Amino acid sequence: MNWMWFAVVQDGAARDAYAAAPAWCLDGRRAGVLAVWPAEHRPKVPAVKVDARIVDRDGDRAELSLVLAPPRVRLLFDDTAVQQARRDVLAGRPPRALSTLLRGDSIFAGAVTVDPAGDDPFARIFPARRLTIGPGLFGRVPAHPGPDIERHGSGAPWPFPTFDAPVTDQAALR
Amino acid sequence: MHPNLRPGERFPDIELPDHAGNPRRLSELVGSDPTFINFFRGFWCPKEQAFFRVLTAFQAEVEVAYARIVSVSVDAPDVNAAFRAGLGARWTFLSDPERRYLDELGLRETTDTLNHPYWPASFTLYPDLTIRSVFTGYWFWGRPTMEELRQDFRAITREIRADWEVSAT
Repeated sequence: MNWMWFAVVQDGAARDAYAAAPAWCLDGRRAGVLAVWPAEHRPKVPAVKVDARIVDRDGDRAELSLVLAPPRVRLLFDDTAVQQARRDVLAGRPPRALSTLLRGDSIFAGAVTVDPAGDDPFARIFPARRLTIGPGLFGRVPAHPGPDIERHGSGAPWPFPTFDAPVTDQAALR
Repeated sequence: MHPNLRPGERFPDIELPDHAGNPRRLSELVGSDPTFINFFRGFWCPKEQAFFRVLTAFQAEVEVAYARIVSVSVDAPDVNAAFRAGLGARWTFLSDPERRYLDELGLRETTDTLNHPYWPASFTLYPDLTIRSVFTGYWFWGRPTMEELRQDFRAITREIRADWEVSAT
C-alpha cells in the first residue's frame, strides 16, 4: 500500500498507531501527538492519507511545516492553487521528506513537510503550523525527480512516484 | 561518443549527486516513465541557455504527462542549483565535477581543452533505460526540437502503457 492514515491526536489516542511522535509548537507548548496507521487499519479519530514512504519508526526528531485544511473546507487536489504549490516545491530546495495529505481520493487536506529547506508553498493555501516532533515517525525520502506534478494513480498522495512502485524500505534509504 | 550509445542499447545507470548534493541513480530518477536526458556544457554557454529556456517552457507539458527530464553537467551541485533556479526548471540536475562519466560515455567536449565539459548530447529513454533516440547537439541544430521530444514521448508511452488504446467492451 502506498499510503497510510495520518492524524493529530491527543495523548492516549495513538496507542494503536503504527508510529507516533509527540509534537511541540516552536514556543514549547505541546501540540498533541502525530500518529499514523496502516491503510487497512482506519483509526477511530478523523484521519487523512499520507505517503507511506515518509513514515519511519527509526526516523530522527524533526521540524515540520504542517498544513491542514480548516474543517468543512473542501479544496480539490487538482485545484490550480494546489498545482502551483506542487510546482513551487519542485522548484525549491528539497526538504528531508514531504507528502500531501488527502481526504478521500480527490480532496486536498494539507501537507506535511519534514525539515523544510525554505518557505512551505502549501502554506499559501491553508494555515501552516511549525512544529517540532520527537523521533520515531518520519524518515528521509529522496527528492521527487520532477517535473511531474500529477499523482500516479488517483488516491495516492503526491509525490508517490510510480503507478506500481512498492513502498520503499526506509532502512535502504539511509 | 561511445559506440554503445545508440538506439536499442541500454544507457548506463549512472550515479551522481543532484543539485542538492544527494547521490541519485539514473534508474531511480527515471522510475517507470519515458525520460529525456541531456548532457550540457554548463550554465555559461549561450547555446545551452537558449536550449534550456525552450526546455523549461516544455516542462509545462511534461509535468502532467508522466515523463521525466534529467540534465547533467560537470558543474558542482550549487552551481547547477543556481542555474536551475534561474531557469525555473523543476526537474533534477546531476553534477559530475570529477568528470567520472566523461570518458566512459565518450562525451568529452573536444574544443574546450581547459574545462573539459560534457559534449552536448541528449537521449530519449524507455523506463528500462533503453535508448530510443540520440541527438548530437555540438552544433545547435542537432538538438531535439520539442516536437521531436513529443513524438518520442508519445511513441514510448504508447509502447509501455497497456491502456494507451481504449479497450473494446
